[in-house]
Amino acid sequence: MNRLHIGLTLRIVAVLAVMGIAVFPLYWMFVTALSSDADLFASEARLWPDFSQFGVFVDALAEGETVRWLRNSLVIAVGTTAMSIGLGIPLGYALSRFSFRGKVLTTVVLLLTQMLPEALMVVPLFSLFNRFDLLDSLIGLILANSAFVLPIVALILKGAIDGIPRELEEAGRVDGARPLTMLVRINVPLIAPSIAAAAVIAFFHAWNEFVFAVTFIYAPETQPASVGIASFIGEVGTPVQTVMAVAFMFTLPAVAFYLFAQKYVVAGMTAGAVKG
Amino acid sequence: MTVLEQTRAPRSEAARRRRSPLGSRWTPYVFLAPAAAFIILFQGVPLAQEIYLSFTRTSLLNPTRSTWVGLENYAHIFGDDDFRRTLRTTLVYVVACVAGSVGSGLLVALLLNRNFRGRGIARALVTVPWAAPGIAVALIATWMLNPQYGIVNRFLNAIGLGVPGGTILDSPTYALPAILVTTIWQLFPLTSVVLLSALQAVPKDLTEAATMDGAGRWWTFRAVTWQVIKPTVGLLALLMTIWSIRRFELIWLMTKGGPVGSTETLVIDLYAQAFDSKQLGTAAAIGMVGVVISLIVIAGSRLVARGAAKEGLR
Repeated sequence: MNRLHIGLTLRIVAVLAVMGIAVFPLYWMFVTALSSDADLFASEARLWPDFSQFGVFVDALAEGETVRWLRNSLVIAVGTTAMSIGLGIPLGYALSRFSFRGKVLTTVVLLLTQMLPEALMVVPLFSLFNRFDLLDSLIGLILANSAFVLPIVALILKGAIDGIPRELEEAGRVDGARPLTMLVRINVPLIAPSIAAAAVIAFFHAWNEFVFAVTFIYAPETQPASVGIASFIGEVGTPVQTVMAVAFMFTLPAVAFYLFAQKYVVAGMTAGAVKG
Repeated sequence: MTVLEQTRAPRSEAARRRRSPLGSRWTPYVFLAPAAAFIILFQGVPLAQEIYLSFTRTSLLNPTRSTWVGLENYAHIFGDDDFRRTLRTTLVYVVACVAGSVGSGLLVALLLNRNFRGRGIARALVTVPWAAPGIAVALIATWMLNPQYGIVNRFLNAIGLGVPGGTILDSPTYALPAILVTTIWQLFPLTSVVLLSALQAVPKDLTEAATMDGAGRWWTFRAVTWQVIKPTVGLLALLMTIWSIRRFELIWLMTKGGPVGSTETLVIDLYAQAFDSKQLGTAAAIGMVGVVISLIVIAGSRLVARGAAKEGLR
């Protein structure tokens, strides 16, 4: 009995420790943003936030820069999500429901794109975008991000459509429905949770993306938050509190959105990883 | 597997589809075309360009003029001591990332694979790092590692393990470990979530029976649990390997490959060659080395998987 108690206690302590490790850096971002200069540079660290400093968030938002950064990130993320889902559903459907020449090749190519480093593709994409006047444009970033996240999205959706009985479609086929109609009317509603998972993954990918953004964007007006926040690194003019406040406001939507959609994302990630 | 099964779909069904005026044999290609065109344009063409560039001398300042130099770029990088160090650093980085993320993910998954109150909350919170943007993680990590005011140094000093001067990210010895810890912190949510769902497939009555028979925890884990989750562990290890070879952001933002090249992996080297030294040819050759290594890893893992499958049959 006693040994059981010790084991249980150890387990609780371990779970709490892991939770602490997972959350602490984000908590610390928050605490740092809400610290007075005196606390920040004192010899003893202050471990809890000082809410009298809350003005730092208000000031950061009042400055047009932060809002513009976040807005640009939002446009890129929403655009990438729409684009990759829009292209990924038909691709996933083709891979799941039809047998055709080049199907195995397509699947292999989708998997192999997972090993192409963004840092390598950034140079040729730069010259491609240069030619089509897509540098310094949010549309350019949406296209580049969609190309990188589309394979994962398509594979998740293929897996989801695999799980839907064909009989449902057979009924539609007898009624003379076109394949596109069947896809939209029968499959899409049934795989809605997987679409949600793929959408969240695409959204995150674009919201967090940095390499393409930092290389393709130079005008302040088109900068997304990832690039804007990165410009704080190595710069000494901005107070640490402001930097952390902006970084926290960039992190919070991603984490909140993730927690909200967690169930779907986990299912999607798991399906993607297990089937991939 | 599913791919193979469907290619061998019964003939009657294929014939029926061909007869149907609405679903011709071009239908799949119509669904496929937009995405395929997209991937070819934004992944295929750039990759082909990079392969070509790797055999040329091309400057970033004048990228439309390339001189064909054959294998010169490859000869150059493989003769370069710095590049060999980069390869070694990449190896250490990748192995540590894979072992660290899969290992910690497994421990966390085993920890959470029990029913207890608050398990839902624990599972949600533990996966939060995965959602945090890399740039924000780089910023908070750099601040936490600040020599004078960083919480990490304050903590290490308090328990008597402080680094002299506290300069972790400026030290050739400690910079890579610090980046590894940060990277693994971001990766373990993914591995633990995937492994947790693999653990759900372990038959409870089997582990219970083993425990009843007086088998130790470790024995039960090896004989039952491990056998069930082994394919998932292998797949995760493969995924983590490939992703770690191409991961760029955290290292670039935290150290840019320094100090004195101690955190310079292939992709960091490649980016610096392209945008600092403006040598697009060399950069492309370095990138190709990374791609080929990934291909070898994938091919190798397939062989191992096939071997394991055969062993299982015996």
